Amino acid sequence: MIQFTNVSKKYDTGTNYALKDINLTIEKGEFVFVVGSSGAGKSTFLKLMMREEVPSTGSIVVEDIDLTKIKKRDIPKFRRRLGIVFQDFRLIPNMTVFDNVAFAMRVIGTKEKKIRRRVPYVLSLMGLNEKARNYPKELSGGEQQRVALARALANNAEIIIADEPTGNVDPQMSYEIVDLLMRLNEAGTTVIMVTHEHSLVRCFDKRVIILDKGAVVSDGGAVVREQATSHINPVSEIENEYVVPPEEDYSAYAQDTEIQLVEEIVVAEEETIAAGGDN
Amino acid sequence: MGKLRYLTKEGFRNLKVNKLMSVASVTVLFSCLMLIGIAFMILVNIQSFISGIEAENVIMVYADIEANDYEYMALGNDLRSIGNIASVEEIEKEAAYEQILSEMDANLREYLSGLDKNPLPDAYRVTVADMSGFETVVEEIKGLERIERVYENSSLARQLQGIRDSVTYISIGMIVLLFIVSLFIISNTIKVTMFSRRLEISIMKSVGATNSFIRWPFMVEGIIIGVIAGILATGAVWAVYEFALGSFATMLSGFGGEVQVEFLDYALYLVAAFVCIGIFTGVFGSATSIRKYLKERKFVELED
Repeated sequence: MIQFTNVSKKYDTGTNYALKDINLTIEKGEFVFVVGSSGAGKSTFLKLMMREEVPSTGSIVVEDIDLTKIKKRDIPKFRRRLGIVFQDFRLIPNMTVFDNVAFAMRVIGTKEKKIRRRVPYVLSLMGLNEKARNYPKELSGGEQQRVALARALANNAEIIIADEPTGNVDPQMSYEIVDLLMRLNEAGTTVIMVTHEHSLVRCFDKRVIILDKGAVVSDGGAVVREQATSHINPVSEIENEYVVPPEEDYSAYAQDTEIQLVEEIVVAEEETIAAGGDN
Repeated sequence: MGKLRYLTKEGFRNLKVNKLMSVASVTVLFSCLMLIGIAFMILVNIQSFISGIEAENVIMVYADIEANDYEYMALGNDLRSIGNIASVEEIEKEAAYEQILSEMDANLREYLSGLDKNPLPDAYRVTVADMSGFETVVEEIKGLERIERVYENSSLARQLQGIRDSVTYISIGMIVLLFIVSLFIISNTIKVTMFSRRLEISIMKSVGATNSFIRWPFMVEGIIIGVIAGILATGAVWAVYEFALGSFATMLSGFGGEVQVEFLDYALYLVAAFVCIGIFTGVFGSATSIRKYLKERKFVELED
């Protein structure tokens, strides 16, 4: 569970609040979109959740840990419970796909034996088993983002935090990535995805938190969101100075996902373990 | 232990990935250490050269030619009772005469021994313990009775003392300066490699690697650079020293005294010192530069 209580954040350099008086709760196992334009406070929201920044006032509790009171040396341990996916993938170019995923496990001191078992498993979840020996530059944007997602999963994250994961991939792949996140969510992982693409969000019936100028302007499921954004449909409009980018018709991809995924995550895990996960 | 091996391997990998930077820093650090080594060898040589001369710098006290054996012994006791004296050595006139005769040409020796008269006075060879009190000792000796003549060279002793002091200070100053430069070189190298690996660091931080885990490979890198440069520098100093010794040995021997310092007597100290400097600069240089880096650099650089 993630709980923001009266959270405000003002940077030393800025004059305005990046976030102002945020109160919200994200339950365990929930899937949440955080939507907003540039400067709305999305990144600050994420940084606070990862304990990259501390709030100026208010308190944040993530999985029973009060992030305003956590000791510095306990921060790395806390972060191991999160899986973070960045817009720019952040893959290490001179490491293979396998090593990129293994890297996340190695740097927290996981035993090599466990790594050799776990990495093929998470790669198979992302449909990347064939690409284990490839280098990032040999992969498409969507595949690279799936590697990043596999890396976020490597350490058994309880919460996946995805910052514009679809920002650098084509619309078809964007849909697939969100679809992947959905499947992870179905397996019990809490997923928080930040995006600015309203049309993408509209394809999925999930909770949407809309941020604008550091405040939550709308929070709720499809119905609430439709009401909140009805004035800006169906094309880009300026209302409340809230800019919506040109729309992409994601519904076209909804029936057309080619991605070959392992249907049952649990089954996949059993198979990988049975196979000994040699790689 | 597997973890330690992984981290150490990473340190070596860093070096390989940043080949040019590694070679550059090894070269610069090597030059610094070599200069330190040369400064040190010069210091050691001058020290030993001066002590050689100082050892020669004794006060010869010649007893009155009329003095009998008893008076000669009393003079010896008087000399020994003076403070700040390292040794008082008796040089009896018979022995001294023998010595002189033995060094002479046979005919002359024949002639002189035929004279049956020893022209030499009895003497004492006095060495001073602390050179800075040299003149006081000379004054005290001159105040004693039954003395024919006191032979000393206090001005030379004084000059040598001054040279030795300034050489020591200059050398130590140079060594300290070069040491600081070495420290900067290593920490700079680490900063550069860290910058080139900021992506990896940001990922490490985002998946929850501890700062010490992030730091270790960089320390290993610094230590390796230090150790390689240290070993190379020792070899280079040896070569330079042997070469210099060959060129200057004849010149130095002109000053008298067999004061040749063997490099190998000091090689072990130099290697140990260089490797220590390497390890220290490696650890210290990386620790300081990383601390700053880890603090300033956030792993999320998002556009808001």
